[in-house]
Amino acid sequence: MRTRFDEQLNTLHQELIRMGALCEEVISLAASALIQKDDALAAKIAPLDHEIDEKERQIESVCLRLLLQQQPVARDLRQISAALKMVTDMERIGDQAEDVAEILPFLNGRTLPEHIQIREMAKEASQMVTNSVDAYVKQDTAIAEAVIAADDIVDDYFIAIKNSLISLIAQNPNEGEYALDLLMAAKYFERIGDHATNIAEWVQFSVTGEKNTPQEVN
Amino acid sequence: MTKRIFRSIALVAMAVFLASVLLFLCVLYNYFENIQQNSLKTQTVLAARGVEDVGAAYFEGLDTKGYRITWIDADGDVLFDSKASTDTMENHLEREEMKEALATGYGESARYSATLMERTLYSAMRLEDGTVVRLSIAQNTMLTLLLGMAQPILIIVAIAIALSFFLAYRLSRHITEPLNRLNLDDPLNNEGYDELSPLLRRIDVQQRQIRLQAEELQKKQEEFEAVTENMTEGIVVLNPKGIILSINSAAARLFDTTKACIGQHMLSVNRSMEVSDLLSELEKGVPSEKIIGLKGRKYQLDVSPVSEDGNVTGAVLLVLDITEKAQAEQMRQEFTANVSHELKTPLQIIAGSVELLSNGIVKEEDRMGFYTRIQGEAQRMIRLVEDIIRLSHLDEGADEMKRENVDLFALANETVKSLQAEAENAQITMRLEGTPAILYGIPQLLRSLIFNLCDNAIKYNRAGGTVAVQVKAEKERAILSVSDTGIGISPEHQNRIFERFYRVDKSRSKELGGTGLGLSIVKHAARLHEAEIVLNSAENEGTTITVTFPMPN
Repeated sequence: MRTRFDEQLNTLHQELIRMGALCEEVISLAASALIQKDDALAAKIAPLDHEIDEKERQIESVCLRLLLQQQPVARDLRQISAALKMVTDMERIGDQAEDVAEILPFLNGRTLPEHIQIREMAKEASQMVTNSVDAYVKQDTAIAEAVIAADDIVDDYFIAIKNSLISLIAQNPNEGEYALDLLMAAKYFERIGDHATNIAEWVQFSVTGEKNTPQEVN
Repeated sequence: MTKRIFRSIALVAMAVFLASVLLFLCVLYNYFENIQQNSLKTQTVLAARGVEDVGAAYFEGLDTKGYRITWIDADGDVLFDSKASTDTMENHLEREEMKEALATGYGESARYSATLMERTLYSAMRLEDGTVVRLSIAQNTMLTLLLGMAQPILIIVAIAIALSFFLAYRLSRHITEPLNRLNLDDPLNNEGYDELSPLLRRIDVQQRQIRLQAEELQKKQEEFEAVTENMTEGIVVLNPKGIILSINSAAARLFDTTKACIGQHMLSVNRSMEVSDLLSELEKGVPSEKIIGLKGRKYQLDVSPVSEDGNVTGAVLLVLDITEKAQAEQMRQEFTANVSHELKTPLQIIAGSVELLSNGIVKEEDRMGFYTRIQGEAQRMIRLVEDIIRLSHLDEGADEMKRENVDLFALANETVKSLQAEAENAQITMRLEGTPAILYGIPQLLRSLIFNLCDNAIKYNRAGGTVAVQVKAEKERAILSVSDTGIGISPEHQNRIFERFYRVDKSRSKELGGTGLGLSIVKHAARLHEAEIVLNSAENEGTTITVTFPMPN
């Protein structure tokens, strides 16, 4: 009985790794599409997002079945409930990457002013997702800690971008639409950073049983 | 052990004890019964005599002790009884001893009481007058005797059990102790029971076999590890579920992990789409391969499932570094594309010019220009094809090319002379200095090396400039250097000028009739002679290329 349960837990772990890898892939595609101005990369995101949605449903049903059939306690319960919460965040990352991909064709036609740091922000957000998945894979709270700390960097980028966009509009009111699109993309990346933070927090919870930082988002 | 020995000892003790009790009881009981019977008979005879002599008076004041005396007349009526009143007693005629006494003069019988707890012996004797005197005595039955002895018997049984338990404990200790003391690591060197020696010998043989097999296994394991550890390719052994069973250091290094990942899932080590896809293929039991980028290099991942009787029992994941291969492949593709392009351009010019000429559109005075152009482009194509042939020879290797002793200085002199006309056209002075330097090499390659270097030095020079060629023989090496006072090469191009078809300034090179292959040939020729090329150049000042050949004595 216990061996079967362990096997199911391992399968859950591997499925989550797969889903995390998919998230990494979409966010890095979104970031590369933005940085390299390549719409072809952006077009690859939508099918991957569907795959992520599919994985979310699959993992959810595995979690619920485990909760019902095995009635886990302690660490196992934490692992399963954290998995249930994490898939939601991962799914949101996929959705937001897709949202970025939808805006990109409008952005890529334009020359991005050098001082707007959205590329750096995209890179940082992508790195955060990679690290949060890494933290999960290795069940490493130190990496999770680093991800949570990196959220401030992404938030700062967002504020900086917002300020430079305000001055952009002030100088050149015709750029309004472009500036708003940029702001939306920046917001999506900022949200992606938040979701990565959530994942990191759930990793901490699943390992230590404690959620030491108050949840800032949702 | 103790329990079993105890059980047998106790059983034997009980059996012996019960048997002896029964034997004694039976023998003694019979013996005492006989004595009792005899004494009863004697008493009866005495009593009969007494009654015959004195009549009823005999009974008066008679102390009968354990005996009961009954006097019965011939009709069976009781005349006297020492224990009970005569009135209440029934007729005794039917009693066995009475019948016998009336018939033979003397009778005996024994009867159990209703409870079986008592047995009564009867003895009757007929008197002269026909009356019968009967004596009876109560006797304990065997059961009563046994019941009476119950307490001592129980005590004896208890003692026997305790004793047998103690003995059993002692005995089993005694038996097992040598067994416990057996040294199984060295089975033949034991002082135990002789009965054990076949077992011990067997154990010894088996232990030796196990040791041999373990050694062999370890040797194989070590061999496997030595082989895999020293491989540059990564090897990961997986079970069908994708759990890592073993990983060599090359693979661990590539995947940025340690041997501690053994027992974890492959996805924990690398969760890229490619690995994920490979693992799904593995579940189906199909071999598959993917190309993956790791740390800026390209790796090919080959998964081959290991099957046994149709079941997938594991898989071997091979990680091959194909960076160079991929680069070479890319270079080949680029080269082909470049060659086609380079060949196409002059051909198109020739074809276009010929078309214009044949249509008669070209004015008479312009025709000469077209002819020169066609000739120039044709020459360029010939040079290009020659260079490509030379390069492909070099690619194939210089094995079939004959090596001999060559004087580098003589070759340089020859080349400088052949280029003299060209240099004069470009208003450039050529200088050659140095000493003879003999090296063992391929003359035609060395000639084209010097030629290409000098040719470039003239082409990319200014009017009034100089080209200095220097040949030096030092200890164990020969140095050739070609310097010009030309346009120089800017630093960002310096790394790339030895690539095929790479040109710093395309239009200028074409104008000068360059093929873009000259320095590539130089590089190859130098490589085949194990020579080292050093490029020293400053923009607008000039370029010096130094080739250092090793010169074994």
